[in-house]
Amino acid sequence: MKLEIGNIFIKDIQFAAEAKVADGVLYVDKAALEKVVLEDETIKSVSFDIAKPGESVRITPVKDVIEPRVKVEGPGGIFPGIIAKVDTVGSGKTHVLKGMAVVTAGKIVGFQEGVIDMSGPGAKYTPFSETLNLVMVCEPVEGLKQHDYEKAVRLAGFRVAVALGELGRDVTPDETKVYETCGMKEGIEKYPNLPRVAYVQMLQSQGLLHDTYVYGVDAKKTLSTILWPTETMDGAIVSGNCVSACDKNPTYVHENNPVVEDLFAQHGKTLNFVCQIITNENVYLADKQRSSDWTAKMCRLLDLDGVIVSQEGFGNPDTDLIMNCKKIEAQGVKTVIITDEYAGRDGKSQSLADADPAADAVVTGGNANEVIVLPKMDKVIGTLDYVNKIAGASAETLQPDGSLVVELQVITGATNETGFIKLSAR
Amino acid sequence: MAKLRVVHYINQFFAQIGGEEKADYPAELRVGEVVGPGMALMQKFGDEAEIVATVVCGDSYFNENLDKATADILEMVASQKPDVFVAGPAFNAGRYGVACGTIAAAVQEKLGIPAVTGMYVENPGADMFKTKVYIVSTKNSAAGMRDAVAKLAPLALKLGKGEPIGASVEEGYIPNGVRVNFFEKERGSARAVKMLIKKLAGKPFETEFPMPVFDRVAPNPAVKDMAHAKIALVTSGGIVPKGNPDHIESSSASHYGEYDITGVMDLTADTFETAHGGYDPVYANADADRVLPVDVLRDMEKEGKIGSLHHLYYATVGNGTAVASAKKFAAEFAQKLKADGVDAVILTST
Amino acid sequence: MTGGYILTNNPLVTERLGPDVPVEYLQCSYKSLLEAARDRIHLGARLLSHPLSGSVKPGETPYKSVILTKGKGDVDEQSLELIENAILACAKFQQRCDRYPPSVDLDCRLIDWTLLEGALASVIL
Repeated sequence: MKLEIGNIFIKDIQFAAEAKVADGVLYVDKAALEKVVLEDETIKSVSFDIAKPGESVRITPVKDVIEPRVKVEGPGGIFPGIIAKVDTVGSGKTHVLKGMAVVTAGKIVGFQEGVIDMSGPGAKYTPFSETLNLVMVCEPVEGLKQHDYEKAVRLAGFRVAVALGELGRDVTPDETKVYETCGMKEGIEKYPNLPRVAYVQMLQSQGLLHDTYVYGVDAKKTLSTILWPTETMDGAIVSGNCVSACDKNPTYVHENNPVVEDLFAQHGKTLNFVCQIITNENVYLADKQRSSDWTAKMCRLLDLDGVIVSQEGFGNPDTDLIMNCKKIEAQGVKTVIITDEYAGRDGKSQSLADADPAADAVVTGGNANEVIVLPKMDKVIGTLDYVNKIAGASAETLQPDGSLVVELQVITGATNETGFIKLSAR
Repeated sequence: MAKLRVVHYINQFFAQIGGEEKADYPAELRVGEVVGPGMALMQKFGDEAEIVATVVCGDSYFNENLDKATADILEMVASQKPDVFVAGPAFNAGRYGVACGTIAAAVQEKLGIPAVTGMYVENPGADMFKTKVYIVSTKNSAAGMRDAVAKLAPLALKLGKGEPIGASVEEGYIPNGVRVNFFEKERGSARAVKMLIKKLAGKPFETEFPMPVFDRVAPNPAVKDMAHAKIALVTSGGIVPKGNPDHIESSSASHYGEYDITGVMDLTADTFETAHGGYDPVYANADADRVLPVDVLRDMEKEGKIGSLHHLYYATVGNGTAVASAKKFAAEFAQKLKADGVDAVILTST
Repeated sequence: MTGGYILTNNPLVTERLGPDVPVEYLQCSYKSLLEAARDRIHLGARLLSHPLSGSVKPGETPYKSVILTKGKGDVDEQSLELIENAILACAKFQQRCDRYPPSVDLDCRLIDWTLLEGALASVIL
């Protein structure tokens, strides 16, 4: 399976009468995009804004971050089973508007977090302070239920991203990268001396605001299964996850999964990247047992030598992580797990809700309880309701000068558990 | 800015007084003197700090006169009004390590002056004090002095200036159980791939989060014949004869006591008490049977439910006592219990 | 539900579930609910759902629902470990939900309910 990724570097975003990509500038036709959003009758209105790196801007509460892509050659389209038809993706050629993102913001539920600061001390904790962000805030029609609102905003974000991606269809990419993996037998013949390695990705799948979709299927209703690692680059996995800003995976992270990328970087050199295994993080304990059993079973069936396991979220998924790790190790397959920590504000509490000696190789995205001061920003996109009234409800949180004392938890992507960031802890 | 004032603690060996034969050298304050490893520290401090005094003390003297030595040295240190206190480095010298840890922790706790020491990770002092003071991780012998000083000096400066202390990997101290965030050079996924490649190749790798270690002990099979079994009592609840004859510390116990309860039918407020700190001792002191149930076992002995109550019991204080110390105590008295033909032990805590 | 029941402090759960699903409602805090579950586990009940369901942290929501078996007998170690760890985790978070306005409180009820609903979908009724 071979996929060519053509990156079109976006250096600026501007609103304009005609939508196009020219000389690295994305011109956005607001009216046209508004139409795309309002196709959904449950959305009353939408506003668009642009946030650039270095600006004194705070975006909150962030729901999802999406990278615009377009399928130029090969079967299927971006976000199969959701926007495009359900054809298997991951081959041919895909163009990417690199350096920018669509950010959906707006309050789905009252305690929602998710802060992106484009400058200041908070900026270095979120990867999305480095992208040019087209932010869209959707207002629901009166009386819309939370889960319908979530779905409407989720899908509107994908439609907008696809519409923007389409603008890059005929643009010559600034950079082309080729990703290719092979079938079982071919791989063994081609790389007889390299260890067989896979990526086990755990998907958040606990319920409303905690869901992930694979080709349109709710991940909590899936059995552990196998993907070509290039499928996720075409949007095979998308986020419906709005809670736990610091360690949830926005759709952008699925499209640019860092474990997939970094395993590809070693593919054919120090290891043979066999495939991606996806599994879920359900609430029901028997589901956990089944899913981790199946994951371990596949690791054995694929004759793997090693896997990297990544997690998503807090608490409940710790149990899946440890189950996966233990069972895969028990099959004689070596594991490295990626997680983050909730060690308390003072860093002294037990970091994970579960532990096992089999987990002897751990990469951490840092302590999400660590406190940070976010200075006041000149402009807020979205609403400060949450941070001011909820997280900021205690006297010590909202400072007289307008700055906020918060835990890293509230910052989008701060302690990402796919290893998307450089933050760590010891 | 004025130079930071540093007081440095070293043992008789590093003060070039002598080896083991001089280990009983009492504590001594040398004002204005920079001795032994202090020279290397001074070099690293540059013009940011200076050693204003050196305390020299023999390792045996310190450990055998713990209370007096600690009190004397605290006074010496206080008299010099330092901004930061540095002890060692002790490398793998066990008693020196314990002395450095003890005195550094005391300076920090009693005088409110930040303190730092350095030792090899397997030095018993490391396990005992790593959660109390920053202990720079050194090699296992004085051959590692350069490397040790290179970490010790900058950490001492930061502490002296009251600057925030980074994560253990950044500063070079032995992990102290407090998780501190920092930015790595590579993103997590790249680190994970590297770690996996090492693990697959059977090469050493370092986990970023060591799993908490639980010492799980499989229980022995049940005692079949309780009516003829000899039962012993052991406690980490600090129950000792009134007056605490062995001076078991109220926290971080360094030893345990062995006490004869031949003929003792009941522990009373006049005869027994608890040495344990960290909890309200009123109820334990009023009736120590609440922690060490001698009265109930005497009843059972009478009723024939157990064969007999062993005439010796063992007690220490669990409060903050290093797991390594507790293991050492138990390994020792377990042999005594076996030799005395004890069939089963009832272990009580606070 | 065969041999199981829901222990909850969320009024919405009792409201949403039909009479054929056994529910026990306790008016108590998040942590107390976990402690009540722990007590039952000590008496032999087993956990069927994860006590730290949801990414909404302890302290951020007052509501919690867990599914337990009615079983009596030996203590299930896995259940005990899960519940003990969940209770311990409560201490790591700041208490914020007691300052929520009523609308947010309703959101908290809804989220807890949907997490439970997801788990119930897996239960053989």
